[in-house]
Amino acid sequence: MATLNIQHVDKIYDNNVQAVFDFNLDVKDGELIVLVGPSGCGKSTTLRMIAGLEDISAGKLLLDGKDITSAPAKDRDMAMVFQNYALYGHMTIYENMAFSLTLRKENPNVIHKKVLAAAEILGLTSQLNKKPSQLSGGQRQRVAMGRSIVRNPKVFLFDEPLSNLDAKLRGATRREILLLHKRLKATMLYVTHDQTEALTLADRIVCMSMGHVQQVGTPIELYDKPANKFVASFIGLPPMNFFDVTVRADHLEGKGFTVPLTAEEKAVLAPYAGKEIDLGVRPEDVQAGGDIAMTVYSNENLGMNTLVHGHIGHSEAASNKISAKLRGWCDYKEGDNISVSFSRKHFFDKETGVAIRKEENA
Amino acid sequence: MNEDKNIRLDRMRYTKNTTASGLALLAILFNVFYFISIYESDVGSWYYNILIGASILYNLVFMLAAFLSSEGVKNYKIGYSYAMIILGVIQLARIFIYPMRAHAATVTIQEQAIVVMGTAQFIRTVLYLVLSAACLFAGAVVGIIRSRALAGHLATLESKAA
Repeated sequence: MATLNIQHVDKIYDNNVQAVFDFNLDVKDGELIVLVGPSGCGKSTTLRMIAGLEDISAGKLLLDGKDITSAPAKDRDMAMVFQNYALYGHMTIYENMAFSLTLRKENPNVIHKKVLAAAEILGLTSQLNKKPSQLSGGQRQRVAMGRSIVRNPKVFLFDEPLSNLDAKLRGATRREILLLHKRLKATMLYVTHDQTEALTLADRIVCMSMGHVQQVGTPIELYDKPANKFVASFIGLPPMNFFDVTVRADHLEGKGFTVPLTAEEKAVLAPYAGKEIDLGVRPEDVQAGGDIAMTVYSNENLGMNTLVHGHIGHSEAASNKISAKLRGWCDYKEGDNISVSFSRKHFFDKETGVAIRKEENA
Repeated sequence: MNEDKNIRLDRMRYTKNTTASGLALLAILFNVFYFISIYESDVGSWYYNILIGASILYNLVFMLAAFLSSEGVKNYKIGYSYAMIILGVIQLARIFIYPMRAHAATVTIQEQAIVVMGTAQFIRTVLYLVLSAACLFAGAVVGIIRSRALAGHLATLESKAA
């Protein structure tokens, strides 16, 4: 397959709006990279620049070491799968899958072999004589993937391919994409705004916001060690809780509550003594029982867990709101007072939003 | 070589018989040329009889039948190939209904004997009908060969699967 090097890529539109700022990424051979971020963060623009559907304003794009920055889309040997499938409604599934090869005037027998092989991989063999309108959304998306597979491209590009599917189908198709990646061992770039897709599919995730890359890392790195407050809030469901706290000698002081610090945490926060920082706690790191008072205002039973919403420190300030994912079935009522503790904490610089960690302070 | 043949056969499971259907559509086109050539004639009142009405009706029926046959052979339905043969035979028979009779006939206009269908028009109309029939026969042959080949291939696949 292929390696892809994206070096200092910018995208500036004619109206001087800059959509992507200094994007850098080295994609290894056979790697599945997921670009994730909220709508308008520049992830699809980046993918379209890689595909050749958008011009690159500055920077370089290398495929297997060869500069393809200004190469037309057709010469890039990349296949793109779109959110809306982009299938030809008047053609059968077989004809749709064979279309790109037919245009290249490949031998019909070779086309036939490739289409059947792709259909076999995707479980579409029995659907080949049908029209796209006779298939479900998931099947249509598989056809779109099949159309890419038959081309045997160096790089696969996916632009939110599961966004049009319902939740159940999305999960099933996601697993199919993962299996496909393992089977083809292909280099893939996948764009999504869904962090679940990003966490489950990616070898590495590129988290973007406002055109800037916020963090590049493995899913566990982004979850466990978010580089900044944005990544911390974006990765994880329900999102991380944030509290305004002041660093004291042996604890953090919030509005109406205190959080004790371990020796290691004290060392990490030593340069911030007396200063305000943001404390981040994931809902799953909140445990029932402890020193922090919490007032419940709603309770969502999820079966194995209960998502409890409320506020801590007897303060209804926005910065004291908390969501806790507690184990088991809880039957709290609105106004119940419970106590909680935090098993794991994340600290962020109040001004820059950058994570405060041992490495940074070492 | 044998593998190539097998793949060619297997391709027919997913591709249409566009050659046969294309030939049927071409036959319609030649028929259109034919009736335009006949209907543009304006020689006395030789054409003004019940036959011209029947001819118009038959042209409509022919175009519909040939179109349906083209769709049928496209999907490897062998019955439509036989229908195309019948239509082809009728096209040849039509040479004797108008072109031959009109070419032999004369009408008197302002005391002058005029041939109803000149030699050039006669050759043209006969050629259109022959070409139309030839397309139908060729399409039918292609349709029959491919439909039989596909049916045999599907039977082989079924016996392998069983």
